[in-house]
Amino acid sequence: MTSTTIAPHELLEHELPDPPCSPQLVEEMLRQLARAIKTHQLYLPNNPIYQRAIENLHAAFAPIWPHTPEIVLSITEADFRWLGRSVMHESNRSESLPWVFFKDGVRELTMSQGIEDEELVSLLRILQRVRNAAPEEDDLLTLMWEQEFTRLRYRFVDINLDSHGSFDAPPAPPQERTLPIVEDIRAEEEAQPKRTSGIVRMEDLDATLYFLDEKEIDYLRGEVAAEQTIDMPRNVLAIILDIFEVQENEKVREEICGILESYMLNLLSSGAYGSVAYLLGETEQLIGRVGSLAPAHRQRLLALPTSLSDPKVLSQLLEALDQSESIPQQAELDALFDQLRGGVLGTVLGWLKQAQKPELRTALERVATRMASTNTAEMMKLIGSSDVSVAIEAMRRAAELKTAGAVAPLAKVLQQPIVELRQAAAQALAEIGSPGALRLLETALNDDDRDVRVSAVRAIGVRGHRAALPRVEEVVQGKSVKAADLTEKMAYFEAYGALARDAGIPPLDKLLNERNFWGRRATPEIRACAARALGIIGSASALESLRRATNERDPMVRSAINRAMREKT
Amino acid sequence: MSTTSAVSTSAANLTPPSVAERGSDGLVRKMGREFLLAIYGALRTVKMYPPDNPVVQKTMQEVVRLSNELLRAEREVELRVSGEFIFINATRLRLDLENYASFNRIISAFKDAGVGLCRMRDASSERDWVVFLTLLQNAAVGEPDARLYALGEKLAAAKVTTFELGPSTNLDEEMRQKAKEAAKRTYAQSVSVTKEVINSVRMGRSPNIKKIKRVVQGIVDQVLNEETSLIGLTTLRDYDEYTFTHSVNVCIFSVALGRKLGLTRLQLYDLGVAALMHDIGKARVPLTVLNKPSGLSEDEWRTICGHPWMGVLQLFAMRGQNDIPYRAMIVAFEHHKKTDLSGYPKHLRPRTMSIYSKVVAVADAFDAATSRRAYQTTPLSPADVLQEMRINPHRGMDQVLVKAFMSLVGHYPVGTLVVLDTFEMAIVNAVNAVPEALSRPIVRLISDEQGNLLFPGTIVDLNQMNDSGGYVRTIIKVADPERYAIRVSDYFV
Repeated sequence: MTSTTIAPHELLEHELPDPPCSPQLVEEMLRQLARAIKTHQLYLPNNPIYQRAIENLHAAFAPIWPHTPEIVLSITEADFRWLGRSVMHESNRSESLPWVFFKDGVRELTMSQGIEDEELVSLLRILQRVRNAAPEEDDLLTLMWEQEFTRLRYRFVDINLDSHGSFDAPPAPPQERTLPIVEDIRAEEEAQPKRTSGIVRMEDLDATLYFLDEKEIDYLRGEVAAEQTIDMPRNVLAIILDIFEVQENEKVREEICGILESYMLNLLSSGAYGSVAYLLGETEQLIGRVGSLAPAHRQRLLALPTSLSDPKVLSQLLEALDQSESIPQQAELDALFDQLRGGVLGTVLGWLKQAQKPELRTALERVATRMASTNTAEMMKLIGSSDVSVAIEAMRRAAELKTAGAVAPLAKVLQQPIVELRQAAAQALAEIGSPGALRLLETALNDDDRDVRVSAVRAIGVRGHRAALPRVEEVVQGKSVKAADLTEKMAYFEAYGALARDAGIPPLDKLLNERNFWGRRATPEIRACAARALGIIGSASALESLRRATNERDPMVRSAINRAMREKT
Repeated sequence: MSTTSAVSTSAANLTPPSVAERGSDGLVRKMGREFLLAIYGALRTVKMYPPDNPVVQKTMQEVVRLSNELLRAEREVELRVSGEFIFINATRLRLDLENYASFNRIISAFKDAGVGLCRMRDASSERDWVVFLTLLQNAAVGEPDARLYALGEKLAAAKVTTFELGPSTNLDEEMRQKAKEAAKRTYAQSVSVTKEVINSVRMGRSPNIKKIKRVVQGIVDQVLNEETSLIGLTTLRDYDEYTFTHSVNVCIFSVALGRKLGLTRLQLYDLGVAALMHDIGKARVPLTVLNKPSGLSEDEWRTICGHPWMGVLQLFAMRGQNDIPYRAMIVAFEHHKKTDLSGYPKHLRPRTMSIYSKVVAVADAFDAATSRRAYQTTPLSPADVLQEMRINPHRGMDQVLVKAFMSLVGHYPVGTLVVLDTFEMAIVNAVNAVPEALSRPIVRLISDEQGNLLFPGTIVDLNQMNDSGGYVRTIIKVADPERYAIRVSDYFV
């Protein structure tokens, strides 16, 4: 490595040039810079602590600029030096800001006025990246080069290229001699009166041959613009797969199998899910197309989707998605999951509860529904999963897809002791609404859990499952209903109204308008429910019954009557 | 006032900046470009219409507006022409597809009038510009100093005192020397790193990706700042080092062509990495096959033709953990394909050829055909190669890119040995900045009229005219350096 000495810091104190302002101002600015770097590592840009650190750093530059338009810092292993004076000393390399610059070869930094306005955050981002970088990743010089700072200049020694060549000495002048030019030309002219190679032709002098016209310029501009839209990962995948197919050499194919395995991981970690889907889809077709495929290679290619479908691997992917800043497009996710193997649905369903990001949950719900629709057998199997959250999500998918075939596994779930499962089963059956589902729901009316019963009776009512009328009637007209809460009561009465129709008016009218043997009316809740049921029946007789009660004084009953009549009129 | 330029030096010691000068000059760059485009428009209108024509008036108003705005921001405006570049104060304005024709026209007008710089310290008027631009396009004949003097006299007679004119300064020569030194360092490092990379791959070791990136950064900086010196060094076609110098040359030509296409700095970087690595697959071809002078068996030929796809596999093998050099892979795969996607290697899935691959294909074909290597002991002359690339569609190159490449390297590319009508011999040193003078490059005279060899020789502009309005020198023939035992690269190092 070349010398890193920069003249001023070797001078004695009294020989140093007078600084344009107090070195303490520069020291303070560097302190604030170091703080800002730390906060940049710890906090997001919208965090108040981060924002305060940036403001402080911004403010630290302000008192310097009236005295000098730029700050030139020379850099040693442990120091930033300004005009020969140390303005930051950090001997601990793991903490040292000067060392971050020094180790990658930067020996001088010049900050110009205005750096704090636009470029400081870019610098902080670069420093953070460099501090966390693995040895094979880009170093500070490359990152600074790519950034193209305009307010930050730097000088560096290129540690990487120091040992590389130079033209050691200028070439020795050629020996003095005379070239036989004239003789050659004469000889050529005599030998070949016609044109000889190299003789200039007039048409060659037409410089317009080389001018680009507007159309050509537009063409090139279009090509350059199109270049920026190329899907690079997919393009390279197509190349790799083409090579695999065209080259039958086993070693080449072996190498490509390895490339595909690691490339797939790379694509996953970079969030290129569409490309992974492309890879898996193309691989599947390739396996079917290439006749000369060695069994070992076939196995490795087949393993690509299988390995990704492994619950542990897939969970990693989903976790990465949950932690990433943005969620990929739905189409990309759909395409990826379309390529995965059976068993994936369970993992996805399990993740629906775990996902922290609502947008990921939404996306995964769509994925899950899509997968369930193409793999109902798997979905029905998962309804019986021992993982409660998976079973519940499977039942939700069955409900969403109204999968009649799911009734059998749902029947088993209704026998389960876990209430959440039975509730989900009842809701699923209600959504499915097939005759089989409704028959099952009849049995659910006897469930111990109120929610299960409510789901069941509501579905029965909405679907008009008249076979359940005797059971519903028994509840409505019996005593058990009195013990139920208002929601359940209302569900039963609504179902009763829907199932019994006009036949239900006399008992409902009795409950709404009449007194019992002891001259008492039914409770306001029961009467309100009866009014609601009459409203659902909605016939002239039902309305008449409601009208008779319009002078009701109890607010709950009056409100129910009014609502029922309003809805019918 | 312009702030100081940014400096990125790749110097091995802390000598003054030698590679790149980049600075906080965005404003000057933007306004400068607009200013030059306005001057270009004004140059055209004063040539076509009388001064009181509304079109002329309008264009002059725009020139005055922009020059005054620049003056307000910078206190003084110095427009300097150096080689093929235009500087506004310390800022070099970049060429791109949008402006290169107009920039060249201005450079040409300045050079014709012997003007190296034009400085303004005070606000100008529309009349000042009409007079100046009219006179600029009606330059006297003779030596540059005489033309400049004549223009100054005419301006004074017309009572136009806003413009301080000056000739090309020694500063240009100093800058050229510095740029040349930087170019030499960049070139040597690039060849050395390429050699290390390819040899590492051959030995099954993992090459240092950072070094590759660094040399390409150096090449991009060099091309953006002063490409002539670097392009001159592509004549260093060392037979023994062909594989390495070829990769570096292709990188230089590609980046220079990319710059002409208006690619951004980072895009040039991507293109440069891809170009430098385009033949990396050859590291997998046995040297016995690669260096076989003739009589390749079918298998051996197939092996050589496999280097594009081998390159893709190699790039996968040598990448770091995070970076996948996608463009380099695509270019490695496609650089021997024709624009209709025939050629080799075979592909199965539908694809569209990348413009980067097309650029590298042109640069690759040019450098390969003009180089001496195992199976081509007599290289073709650059002029013949260009001619072939232009007229032979079976080469399968993008014809628009070939045209752009020709306008980059001129009809007589840098390094071409030529015989002049004075019977002097010369080596092409740089393409002429005057667009109409692509066949009249800047050359270095390496022998006098009697054929006496000169070293290092003097630089002359073949577009230069004598007092009677004829050209002082004209190329009559392209010559073979081997015939005269001349090592062209000696004149560039």
